[in-house]
Amino acid sequence: MEQFESLLTCCVCLDRYRNPKLLPCQHSFCMEPCMDGLVDYVRRQVKCPECRAEHRIPYQGVQGFPTNVTLQRFLELHVQISGELPDPTAGQVMERCNVCSEKAYCAPCAHCDKKVCDDCKSAHMEVLRREITRINNQIRRGVHRLQDILGIVERNTSNLQTNCAAVSGEVDEIHKRLAKALKDRTDFLRNEIDRYLATELRNLTHLKDNLELELSNIQSNCDVADKYMNDDVEWEDTELVDTKEIFLKTVEFLRNFDYEAGDYNRRIRFIMTHDPNQLVMHVASYGELNITNPAHTSGYGGSSLQPSQGLTRSKSDHRLATQFRQQEETKSYYDNDEPILGGRKFGERRPPPPEKPTREYGATDDYSGYESEHRPSRRFRSRFVRSHQQDNDSDTEQATRNIKSEHKEKEKEKVTDTEDATRGPLSGIFRLSDCPRVMQRMLDVDSGKKKEKKEPPPPPKPVQPTPPTQRRPPPARQQSEDDEISRLKRQNKATSSQEPERAAQRAVEEERNSITRKPPTPAREASSDGESDESLGTLQRNQRKNTTTATKTPVPTPRRPSATETPTSHRVPARAASTESSASTESSGSAVKHTGGDRTTPATTNGTVSGAQRIQSRFIGSQRPTPAPAPAEPAQEDSDSSSEEETDSSEESEEEPAPPRKPESQAMARTDIGPLLARSNNARTDAQDNKNKDSPAQPRYRTRPQPAEEETPRYGNSASSYSNRYGSKPKEEEPTSSFDDETKYPTARSRYLALKERRNRLARSKSSHSGFGAGDDDDQDEPVSPTTASPSAYLAARYGSGTGGSELSRSRSSHALKSRESSPERPVAGEKDGAALSSWARYLKSKYGSRGKDRDTSGTSSSASRRLSLGLPLRSANELASSDDDSKNAAGSPISPTAATAAVAGFAAAGSSPRSQYLQKRRLQFSVGSRGSEPGYFTWPRGIAVGPDNTMVVADSSNHRVQVFDSNGIFVKEFGQYGSSEGEFDCLAGVAVNRIGQYIIADRYNHRIQVFDPAGRFLRSFGNQGTGDGKFNYPWGITTDALGFIYVCDKENHRVQVFQSDGTFVGKFGSFGSKLGQLEHPHYIAVSNTNRVLVSDSNNHRIQVFDVNGRVLSSFGEEGSEDGQFKFPRGVAVDDQGYIVVADSGNNRIQIFHPDGSFLRAFGSWGSSDGEFKGLEGIAVMSNGNIIVCDRENHRVQVF
Amino acid sequence: MAALPRRIIKETQRLMQEPVPGISAVPSESNARYFHVIVTGPEDSPFEGGLFKLELFLPEDYPMSAPKVRFITKIYHPNIDRLGRICLDILKDKWSPALQIRTVLLSIQALLSAPNPDDPLANDVAELWKVNESEAIRNAKDWTRRYAMDN
Repeated sequence: MEQFESLLTCCVCLDRYRNPKLLPCQHSFCMEPCMDGLVDYVRRQVKCPECRAEHRIPYQGVQGFPTNVTLQRFLELHVQISGELPDPTAGQVMERCNVCSEKAYCAPCAHCDKKVCDDCKSAHMEVLRREITRINNQIRRGVHRLQDILGIVERNTSNLQTNCAAVSGEVDEIHKRLAKALKDRTDFLRNEIDRYLATELRNLTHLKDNLELELSNIQSNCDVADKYMNDDVEWEDTELVDTKEIFLKTVEFLRNFDYEAGDYNRRIRFIMTHDPNQLVMHVASYGELNITNPAHTSGYGGSSLQPSQGLTRSKSDHRLATQFRQQEETKSYYDNDEPILGGRKFGERRPPPPEKPTREYGATDDYSGYESEHRPSRRFRSRFVRSHQQDNDSDTEQATRNIKSEHKEKEKEKVTDTEDATRGPLSGIFRLSDCPRVMQRMLDVDSGKKKEKKEPPPPPKPVQPTPPTQRRPPPARQQSEDDEISRLKRQNKATSSQEPERAAQRAVEEERNSITRKPPTPAREASSDGESDESLGTLQRNQRKNTTTATKTPVPTPRRPSATETPTSHRVPARAASTESSASTESSGSAVKHTGGDRTTPATTNGTVSGAQRIQSRFIGSQRPTPAPAPAEPAQEDSDSSSEEETDSSEESEEEPAPPRKPESQAMARTDIGPLLARSNNARTDAQDNKNKDSPAQPRYRTRPQPAEEETPRYGNSASSYSNRYGSKPKEEEPTSSFDDETKYPTARSRYLALKERRNRLARSKSSHSGFGAGDDDDQDEPVSPTTASPSAYLAARYGSGTGGSELSRSRSSHALKSRESSPERPVAGEKDGAALSSWARYLKSKYGSRGKDRDTSGTSSSASRRLSLGLPLRSANELASSDDDSKNAAGSPISPTAATAAVAGFAAAGSSPRSQYLQKRRLQFSVGSRGSEPGYFTWPRGIAVGPDNTMVVADSSNHRVQVFDSNGIFVKEFGQYGSSEGEFDCLAGVAVNRIGQYIIADRYNHRIQVFDPAGRFLRSFGNQGTGDGKFNYPWGITTDALGFIYVCDKENHRVQVFQSDGTFVGKFGSFGSKLGQLEHPHYIAVSNTNRVLVSDSNNHRIQVFDVNGRVLSSFGEEGSEDGQFKFPRGVAVDDQGYIVVADSGNNRIQIFHPDGSFLRAFGSWGSSDGEFKGLEGIAVMSNGNIIVCDRENHRVQVF
Repeated sequence: MAALPRRIIKETQRLMQEPVPGISAVPSESNARYFHVIVTGPEDSPFEGGLFKLELFLPEDYPMSAPKVRFITKIYHPNIDRLGRICLDILKDKWSPALQIRTVLLSIQALLSAPNPDDPLANDVAELWKVNESEAIRNAKDWTRRYAMDN
């Protein structure tokens, strides 16, 4: 075979003979180039290379030599036998290469667009290959971008899913809650109505019986008198006198008795706190999905989704590209679209020169475009700037294109079933390995059939330019492209050796008609557009949601406390709560919190559904005072049902009515008056427990002898409990109390008591309104108090009168109540109630970490109770009235009923005991520390707070630590050191202890707040320097309220910021200035338990009182050294009864104010002796009434 | 530069695959037309045992013109001068495109075994060879030992 082969080999070119010419010497040589090269043109001879024989060249040249036909036959035979491919250049004619001018078989070169010889072409290909390698490297370097994006898209997808799942979960949750609330409420109301009916009926019948009895008595008396009171009968003088007296009494009775017809005509009414329509509307639209970026979210089950396109379609470029791509596809390839490779198939020859100008199908120079400096950029650009380009194209090239339409049409068919099928949807780049040519190349490489083929490693692209070099496909062979493709496919199938190939092939087959595949992001299929968009959107949405929540929270959150606390304040004496109730409340409370945090709407809905009252305070505001009590009415009825409670309470006359409350509180929790309510309720109940324990330990308040003493606590408690639980629920107690009381006490009195109670309750509820609901309404307090109070009072009166003989007094009392506003009353404080309440407060303090504010709450309640106790001795209507005015009266100010805010009323109730206590203040009890850095010594102590068990927590500012002392001033522990890391301080200023004993520190020079656990271990910090929300500029005083909200005096930003206990920014108020509501260097802050926020507006020399929403309630003090004036007041504290203690730094004295801000007393002066100060800082009040103050320049803490 | 003619490639491949005994020709890495050649001294010749280095260059119009070949190793031979140039007809006028690298090298090897002092290039050597063949052969052996065997 080898010899055979060598016989077929031209000895000159060492290749297979090509057109062998036979020399006369019988040696054969290829005509070209071998024979050509042998020609001696000078001698016109040819010298045989084999035998050196010289032959004349025929006239026509070497072509004139005869062709060695035999050899040719052999060649053909050999080809058949060996399967060797035919000579590619067969039939070709040599031309001059357009590049090197050598004569050779020339072929068009896509690179230079000329006919060039193989050599030049391969050189060109070499250049191309290098360029491709270079570009490929660029691509490799850049491809991570797509990978990143892919990652993001995947993340977004999962985000989207979780987000949607979470939201729908929320919606479900809300739905459940709403349904439950609605049902509970409905049941509750029905029960109430039934109870109401029963009670009223009973009362009426009772009254009827009484009246009948009276009537018959009087009638018989009259008859007797008529009959026997004449001369006929002998009467003794005494008898006559008595008779007269009786008759006089009767007359008096008749005169005075005044049955208020209206009383029982009063019908129970069902009043919706909200316009039912509105409520329905609220419920109907109880939530909406807030999608930050509107668009078509296919999977998003939102109720109010707009189908606008924008949802997720950010304008990122690939998206644009997608859009354009879509446009392209719809437009088909005819017009102004510039497909990659100009629409040619990969590797396809460009059409003959005449077609050249086109850039579309078969555009010749597209190949070169692939690597020429300009073109590739265009190609890559296409992804990003396609639209632009399109325009250009269409403008400039439309005309040319139209001419070629038929050609294009033909092409198009092929396009659809080959590589276009696998185009990347975004860029229009298809997978090289998917195009038949590349497949073939790879196949070749792999199978090793063509050894000469050495492809550069980067698989797809470098391969592509090679074809011409290696394998010069003769035009003839290309005639049927489709055939070739199919053949290739078959081959591929057979081979299936290589993964990519197979994939490619599959792709070709399966996805022929789809558009999707694109190498860099295979995952992104057709749907990917939408999806990715969506997910992107989700991301954005999430972010935005966060922001929105952030922005929103300030609004709802401040409200939340209000909502929560409204009940709280009412519920003070709520009885020992059953565990279940607490549990349930807790859960509901937490739930609410959750939803509230997430969306505003749920909270709203909640409110709407659940607590009429709460809602009112929150949304309707106190401006509509009347509705408030009204809804309460039905609620009150349930109290009747709890008759057992009442009896209980009556029995245990003295102590707090612990047992009776229990069921109610449960009921509350159950009725779903509002999870918030419930929650607070829970808290209260806890408190109650404690109080019970504590109360005995509080002799101070108890000792006061009072006629009504025994009763008082009960009433007070019950009252407070009512009020705490439900601002306007006076009714429940009344019937019982009146019944019970009748036996023991004069009915009238009891009734008065009840009334008072009610009043108190009202007042308190009012105050709570003002405190919490204030955010929504401006003039909440003034109008509220009278109105709110009166109806409930009225109710109270009515119900109270249920007992038999008490009608007269009852009616009167009710009148009195009505007229109450105008009647000034200065009752003596019944301390007993105060005691009970204060004990509760004390509990609060000890448990929650006593801050002065805590007292306020108890103060309110105590005041209420005190008022009650006051009420006991009073019989006249007048006395009942004006509990609001108490404080003013106490302060000696004229009565201004309208002006008396509920809050003030609460404070006003402060009994004489605290007052007297404060009046006695002056003696230093003891002082702690002196300058130094050892434990128990201070260097410029600043903030101070009272922790659990009356521990004293001192911010030892320049020692950069917190020191804790017990109530006797014994050093307990310290923590912190200088620095800016976690748990380190830089001149800390304010300290606070929240209700779970965590220390909250204003780390002044680090401009942050740090939170430590009760053991002094660092928990978290938040904030940094700045003026934005959640940033600080020398934060100074700090405090927390019962709900754990953190209030920070952001001194250099002249504002107060409010945070959740976890550091989430909630709101802020105050700005630089001296107007009402503005602040200049606020230093210290305190929150009363009525949720009044007291800020020492230092450079304005005043104390400002805000509600928790940052609305100014009042302000007192101005610059000066008289009583009630300040010079740079710093520390401020409020006790549980609302008394305000101010460290009047510039005057070096401590001033004590009534809850309404009127001056009570002052003590202290400049100096370093006991009871003298040099530069006061923080101040706090212990639950036992001790005032502790940081005496900065004396480096000590003094206790009074 | 234009690509290598197919013939050169084929010749090179064949030289690698079927080397001629006693001859090795390796194309330079930098220039495929330049070959490093080593020819062993033929048996029964004064050059036996020596390894003679040559260089071979294929001109542009190869195979239409003869390759250029030159001895690098010094050799004592009447047809090879001090510069290593070779007096061989097929490298001159008798060149034929039908000849190849291997045939040329074989011819050179043959030339070593059959010096032709009648067509001298190195006249002194040729003279000695004609006058005193034995001494010439001794010289040749000496040179071979000296220049073609050390390395």
